[in-house]
Amino acid sequence: MEDFMSKVTTSATMLLTGFTVVFSVLILLILIIFIYGTVITKAQQKSKESKEKKLKTKQVGSQIAAVQNTPSVSVTNALSSNEISGEIVAVISAAVDSMYGSNTKVRIKNIKKSGTRSAWANAGILDNTRPF
Amino acid sequence: MEIIDGFLKAVNGVFESSGFTSLQWQNYVMIGVSIILMYLAIRKQYEPLLLLPIAFGMLLVNLCPEIMAAQETHLMTAEECIAAKGSIEGYATTIIDGVTYYDVPTYGGLLYYLYQGVKLGIYPPLIFLGIGAMTDFGPLIANPKSFILGAAAQLGIFITFIGAIFLGFTDAQSGAISIIGGADGPTAIFVTSKLAPELLGSIAIAAYSYMALVPIIQPPIMKALTTKKERSVVMSQLRPVSKLEKIMFPVIVTIIIALLLPDAAPLVGMLMLGNLFKESGVVDRICKTAQNELMNIITIFLGVTVGATATGTNFLKPETLKIIALGLIAFCFGTAFGVLFGKIMYKLTGGKVNPLIGSAGVSAVPMAARVSQKVGQSENPSNYLLMHAMGPNVAGVIGSAVAAGVLLSVIPH
Repeated sequence: MEDFMSKVTTSATMLLTGFTVVFSVLILLILIIFIYGTVITKAQQKSKESKEKKLKTKQVGSQIAAVQNTPSVSVTNALSSNEISGEIVAVISAAVDSMYGSNTKVRIKNIKKSGTRSAWANAGILDNTRPF
Repeated sequence: MEIIDGFLKAVNGVFESSGFTSLQWQNYVMIGVSIILMYLAIRKQYEPLLLLPIAFGMLLVNLCPEIMAAQETHLMTAEECIAAKGSIEGYATTIIDGVTYYDVPTYGGLLYYLYQGVKLGIYPPLIFLGIGAMTDFGPLIANPKSFILGAAAQLGIFITFIGAIFLGFTDAQSGAISIIGGADGPTAIFVTSKLAPELLGSIAIAAYSYMALVPIIQPPIMKALTTKKERSVVMSQLRPVSKLEKIMFPVIVTIIIALLLPDAAPLVGMLMLGNLFKESGVVDRICKTAQNELMNIITIFLGVTVGATATGTNFLKPETLKIIALGLIAFCFGTAFGVLFGKIMYKLTGGKVNPLIGSAGVSAVPMAARVSQKVGQSENPSNYLLMHAMGPNVAGVIGSAVAAGVLLSVIPH
């Protein structure tokens, strides 16, 4: 009888301890994962939203500029005869615009292909002529 | 005549040292068992990665028990030493009652040395390192409530503990037997090597056999405990989990579990280290090694040496049958509790959770999750439960390691 009671005690203790500890530890993990998951998701959403907002503002700015019909960068028609496609002219104009900003009026008069210079030579020239 | 005498003596010596004279009937039975296991591994593909080395280790040790023999030191007199080794040079001496004895070492068998990795609890955490490097905890992070199902499925362990105690096993043996319910081979070996190493062979074989039989054992229990309506529930898609969350997960889990249950730290720590290798994305080489080469090497050593513990005299006992029966009970209870808690979640969420994913809480990655998917799809062919079941499935790995920590901390060893 004593042996039986000791077995009952051992079993009940193990069952109770196991049940409580396993559930407590895993519930604690649920809470922590839930909290950090929410915090990270919110933070990432916030940064995404602010990025989108900035992008939108920029887009609106450029649209307004287009509506006002005062392009900060104007390109002469002479360029079109240089076998350079319209897309490349647009990209270069956009790059110049972003460098100088919309307050400065800039006119691109000429765009020339670099000719037979190798990419390394171009890189060297760019490195030496880049303003400090 | 002298030549023939010498020849006959030599042949007799070879015969006497052969297995034909030294093996007992139990060894021959075990050789038969090992061949059946090899057949199941090769032909039926039941957990072949582990069952095949286990079966071959079993075959080797029953053909040649010396392969698992421990190293010993024999005390020999000078005459005995010269007769045995040809010289007394180089041996340490011990003087007992004025007589000088030479300490002549005999070296252990190959598998004895490899077995130290099991005995000292080295291989299972290394296997966990590889498992961690292969596991995606994304579904669990996306739906942390899955931890509840992973915890529920561990209740089979503690229920089986009661059964083992009343069948006459000691506390330590009962703890080792009950861990079969975790359906996690490395955890079962880790706990058994610490609590009841004498039962290692039987428990490992029972654990891996039941894991291989998951697709047969689980579906009837899952169907019996759920209604057609519950099994047909289509769960909504899981939210995407960011890389930062995946990187933080192993660190947080390690900190919490190592602080609360230091006994589970080797298993959980290695599991999470492997996962951090994977998720950080900065140690690709190490991650690949943990997933492939290291994992495979340890699997070979673990399988062969665990199989080598199943000698005839160790394995062919009534206790083995009890262990196999208790293992099955543990497995069934684990599955049942997982499904029942799944039903509770189904009720609490207003029918958004399919209770079938609860059965995946028994670990056995990814087989148990596949069973949930298969049973769910048999009710509704357009239902894809696999990713939802992976949550409780990987939670079960952590849950069984936590349960192992509880057993190791409560039971004196």
